[in-house]
Amino acid sequence: MIQLYGVSKRYGPFRDALLDVSFRVEPGEFVFLTGPSGAGKSTLLRLLFFEEPPTAGQILVNGRNIGVLPPSQVPYLRRTIGVVFQDFKLIARKTVFENISFVQNVLGLPRAEQKRRAYHVLKRVGLHHQMNAFPDELSGGEQQRVAIARAIVNEPTLLLADEPTGNLDPVLSEEIMRLFVEINIRGTTVVVATHDLEMIRRMGKRTLTLERGRLHDPDRIRENAPIVREAPFLPVT
Amino acid sequence: MPRPRYVVSESWSIARSSPRQTAAAITLIALALYIPGLLALLSRNLGRLAASNPGEPAALVITLQPGADARAVASRLATDGRIRLIRIVGSEAALERFRRAYPDLGAALAELKEAPFPPSLEVALRAGAPKGAAAEIAAAARLWPGVESVESEEEFSRRFRDAVALVRNAGLFLGGLLTLAAVLSVASAVRLALDLHREEVGIMRLMGATEAAIRAPFWLYAMAEGLLGGSVALGLLYATYRLATYWLARDPHPVLSLFWVAFVSPATAILMPAAGAAAGLAGSLLSLGRRHTQRVTRIG
Repeated sequence: MIQLYGVSKRYGPFRDALLDVSFRVEPGEFVFLTGPSGAGKSTLLRLLFFEEPPTAGQILVNGRNIGVLPPSQVPYLRRTIGVVFQDFKLIARKTVFENISFVQNVLGLPRAEQKRRAYHVLKRVGLHHQMNAFPDELSGGEQQRVAIARAIVNEPTLLLADEPTGNLDPVLSEEIMRLFVEINIRGTTVVVATHDLEMIRRMGKRTLTLERGRLHDPDRIRENAPIVREAPFLPVT
Repeated sequence: MPRPRYVVSESWSIARSSPRQTAAAITLIALALYIPGLLALLSRNLGRLAASNPGEPAALVITLQPGADARAVASRLATDGRIRLIRIVGSEAALERFRRAYPDLGAALAELKEAPFPPSLEVALRAGAPKGAAAEIAAAARLWPGVESVESEEEFSRRFRDAVALVRNAGLFLGGLLTLAAVLSVASAVRLALDLHREEVGIMRLMGATEAAIRAPFWLYAMAEGLLGGSVALGLLYATYRLATYWLARDPHPVLSLFWVAFVSPATAILMPAAGAAAGLAGSLLSLGRRHTQRVTRIG
C-alpha cells in the first residue's frame, strides 16, 4: 500500500525534515506514526498525500510512484485517499451534507445519489440526523466525525489522519479512534499521526516513530505495549 | 471538467460573500466602458454627417469680392476641362438658402436691410477628375482678380473626416486605457474573493478538486461581473442618448440638432457587454495565476 525507500525532505539549504526514511505499510494495516513535535510526522503525511515532492528517495502509494506522477493526476489520486486533520478543515459556509458530497458535486453525481452516500457515511459515524447542520453548530467531536465521514465517502483504500484527536478530550478521542478501527476492519489501510503515546499503547498497533526526521526503533512501542492485537473498543453502531 | 451547476452555484456563492467588492468592480467596468461608448456615439453621428450628401455636392466654393463680375470669373473657370458645372449663387440666393436651413432664425433675418452673404460660385468637378484637381483649381483661382477666398470641399471634408477620426481614436485610446483599469479592478476583486476563500480553496484541493474545478467558479464570477458592468454601461449610454434627443427636440441646437440622429450601431452595442466579459475574464486570469492559488494548500 505504502512503500518508502530512502526518503528525505529538506526545506531550504539546512533544514532536514526527513532523513533517509524507509518503511512499508501493507494493505489493510493500521499504523501509528508518532514522535515529538517537529519530528517530521506532518511532513511525512504531506509527502504521502502528494502535497510536495521528496528531496530524495522513492515513494509508492497504491502502487504509484509519486516522483513520476504528473501534477494533473494528483487530484484524481487524492480522491482515492481519505485525509483527516487535527483542525477538521470543514468549509464553514457549507452544510454537513455539502462538505461531505463536495467531490461528488464537482463530478456531477445525481443529488439523490450524493444524499444516499452522505447519509450512509454519516450513519456510520452516528451523525445522520445532522445532514443539514453547519459545522459551527456542531461540537468538536461531531465536527471530527463529519471530517471522517468526508474522508471515507469515496471509499478510499488509504486513510491518513494527522493528529485527529489533538483538539479533543480523552472520551471523544476514544470515540474517534474507535471509528478508525472500524474503518480499518472494513479493509481500509489507516495511518494515524499522533503524539498520544498512551493511546498508542492501548491500541497495540504497529507504530513508526520519528525523531528529528529519522525513523527510530520502529518496533519499540509495540514490544512494550500490552499484547492487544485487536481494538479494545466496541464497534460503533 | 466541473459540472456547470456546481460552477454556477459556487460563483454565486463567491459573489454573495463579497457584495461590496463585486458592486465596486461592476461600477468600475461600467464607467470604463461608458466613456469610450459615449465617444463612439459622437463619432457615429459625426460620421453620418460627413457621409451625408444632400443635392449636388460642390467641389469648390469661390467667394467673390463685393462688386466683382461673377460671370467673368465663371467664364474663366469654364475653360478648365475638369469642371462639370458652375453655379452662380448671388447674395439674395445665399440668404434664402440660409433661411430655409434655419427657419427658427426667420424673425432675426427678416430685419436685415441688405443680404449679409457675398456672392459666390459653386464648382462641381467631372466624375473622372484626377485626385487633387480641386486643390489645384482652388490655388489658381485664389490669384484671380475679384476672388475673395476659395474653399475646397475636398479640404473641408478631409479636415472633418480627420476630426471624426480623432474622436474615434480618442475613444479607442481612452477605451483601451479604461479597459485596462477595468481588468485590473476585476483582478483585484477576484484576488480579494480568492483571499476570502483561501481556506476553502485549500480544502477543496486536498479533497481532490482539480485546478479547473477550483478556478472555474472564479472565472465565471469575473466574467459575470464584466458582463453586468458592460450592460450597465450600455444602459447608461442609451439613457444619455435618449436624454440628449429629448433635450435637442425641446430646445434645438443649430449644429447638434443636425447630426444627433442615431444610437451606436448594433455591433457596438453588443461589443460593450462582450468587452466587459472579456475584461472580467482577463482580470480573473491575471489574478488566478498558479502561485496565487497554490499557496493555500498546506496540510496542518
